[in-house]
Amino acid sequence: MFNRKITLVTFLFSLALLFSSNVVFAQDAAEGETLFKNNCAACHNTSDEVLVGPGLKGISERRPIDWIIKWVHNPQAVIGSGDKYANDLYTKFNKAAMTPYPNFSDDQIKGIVAYIDAANAAPAAPAAGAAPAEGAAAAPAQSSGGMMEGLLVGLLLIMVLVLVALLSIVNTLSKLASGEAQDETPLAKRIQDNIKAMAANSAIKTGVIVLILLFGGKATIDAAYGVGIHQGYAPEQPIKFSHKLHAGQYQINCNYCHTGVYSGKGANVPSANICMNCHNAIKRESPEIQKIYRAIEKDEPIQWVRVHNLPDLAYFNHSQHTNVGGLECKNCHGDIDKMEVVEQRSSLTMGWCIDCHRETDVNSKGNAYYDKLVELHNKDSKTPLKVQNIGGLECSKCHY
Amino acid sequence: MLVKNSKILIVAGLVAGILSSCGSDPNDTGTEFAPNMYHSVAYEPMSQTEGDTNTINPHGMNMRLPVKGTVARNKFSGPDSLKKALLDQDLISRGIPHDSISYSEAALKNPLEATPENIEAGKVQYERFCQHCHGETGKGDGLAGKAYKGVPVYSSDALKTMNDGHIYHVITNGKGRMWPHGSQVSPQNRWKIVLYVHELQKQ
Repeated sequence: MFNRKITLVTFLFSLALLFSSNVVFAQDAAEGETLFKNNCAACHNTSDEVLVGPGLKGISERRPIDWIIKWVHNPQAVIGSGDKYANDLYTKFNKAAMTPYPNFSDDQIKGIVAYIDAANAAPAAPAAGAAPAEGAAAAPAQSSGGMMEGLLVGLLLIMVLVLVALLSIVNTLSKLASGEAQDETPLAKRIQDNIKAMAANSAIKTGVIVLILLFGGKATIDAAYGVGIHQGYAPEQPIKFSHKLHAGQYQINCNYCHTGVYSGKGANVPSANICMNCHNAIKRESPEIQKIYRAIEKDEPIQWVRVHNLPDLAYFNHSQHTNVGGLECKNCHGDIDKMEVVEQRSSLTMGWCIDCHRETDVNSKGNAYYDKLVELHNKDSKTPLKVQNIGGLECSKCHY
Repeated sequence: MLVKNSKILIVAGLVAGILSSCGSDPNDTGTEFAPNMYHSVAYEPMSQTEGDTNTINPHGMNMRLPVKGTVARNKFSGPDSLKKALLDQDLISRGIPHDSISYSEAALKNPLEATPENIEAGKVQYERFCQHCHGETGKGDGLAGKAYKGVPVYSSDALKTMNDGHIYHVITNGKGRMWPHGSQVSPQNRWKIVLYVHELQKQ
């Protein structure tokens, strides 16, 4: 009897203990999850996949909890103490030290470990979502530049075919109607006869000459207007850099690379060290990225081809337009974030500049420089202050 | 009947011919009238055109590196007292070795006050230089940051108490996986970013 009682009590007691420890465990893991996501997830996966630091799956089996706590509190001290495991780890990860977290309590660290174990016990679901999304975003990459032209030519061909078919039907029908006998002369002969007849017909001759003159004239005028205009110029660059990927997909601000765009005359083409801010780690194996590494090793500049070139006779300053005027880059450069190869979208002619100076209101908000000017302008004008009102059409503004 | 037919064919042929001849070579700028007016005779930065390649500088570059050991006197803006404070901080920061972040933490202090305007200006700079990695709210979830990996959360326990000097040092010289951004962001703008990062640490 007595024995049985003890067993029962022990059983109940251990049950209670188990239950309570389970509750504590769940709480710890929940707290551990927040702590992990806030502090560790940047460099560690809960799986065995290496992110920046090692994947932490099975860490509770790999290392004793005391070691983990010591490590989290001060990794450098553990390495310095000559611990073999720590030193091997340090060498394996290129001597990149982990950030110390001296303020974490032992329970908090245990909670994080509990969360890692719990995350691995549960059926693995996370971390799979990222890959297909990236693939889908990268898929529609072809440019639509030549598509329009192809479409037009295709349409034209179809129209010509329809015309030919219709005309041949009309031809056959009229022949049937007039009850004419089937022509026996061969096709080549018939065509020859027709061309001869056409050449003799003065109306057709005049028509053809007029058409040639019209098309020729238009082509000449177009070509003359195109002299000195680089619109559509999209030179091949020494490195196949894609603005569509960097500015479009990854939404890196223009200013990050074009450092002078808000502060200087020129926008600046980035030097290789700016590429290296990301490409020290990303896509290292790509042959295009290797070109950057080679340029750095040889200490040679990358010879990018200049796309936009305003004639030397006109002065243009980026900061005046972007910083003071508050214009978007797209305003003049077009949809750069959709361009695989950068192309000059705007004509950059004087007419194009002047048009904008006529239409654009001065960005005078919060700029004390313009206060008096706006006041004076508003005295005798109802339209807002435009760029042309502050000398935007003066020759000497840009030509001097 | 075939006469009319051929006429239409000829017209169609002409139209097609002209259309197809319109496509120009993207590598070609087209005809330039008086090219010596397009290409500066004087050496301009960021331009290097055939024929007038710079023969003075190495690699035909038009810009030169600053002389070794010289310090650019930055153009700071604001009242004189602020300009002086900015210059002081700049000079102190330049004397601190790249790997001595604790010196920066102890020695540097933001000369800009945390006014709403300054914080807003910091946000603008943050969006230009930091957001694509560090994310809109500093959670390390920027689009480029996800690809780069290892971008920390500003509000994490290890980083939420980091002071002016620490943040300024990291922007200037980099830390861990982050590379130096001192060549891209001017000292005054770095201090603006510091103000905004302090806001994100609280989130």
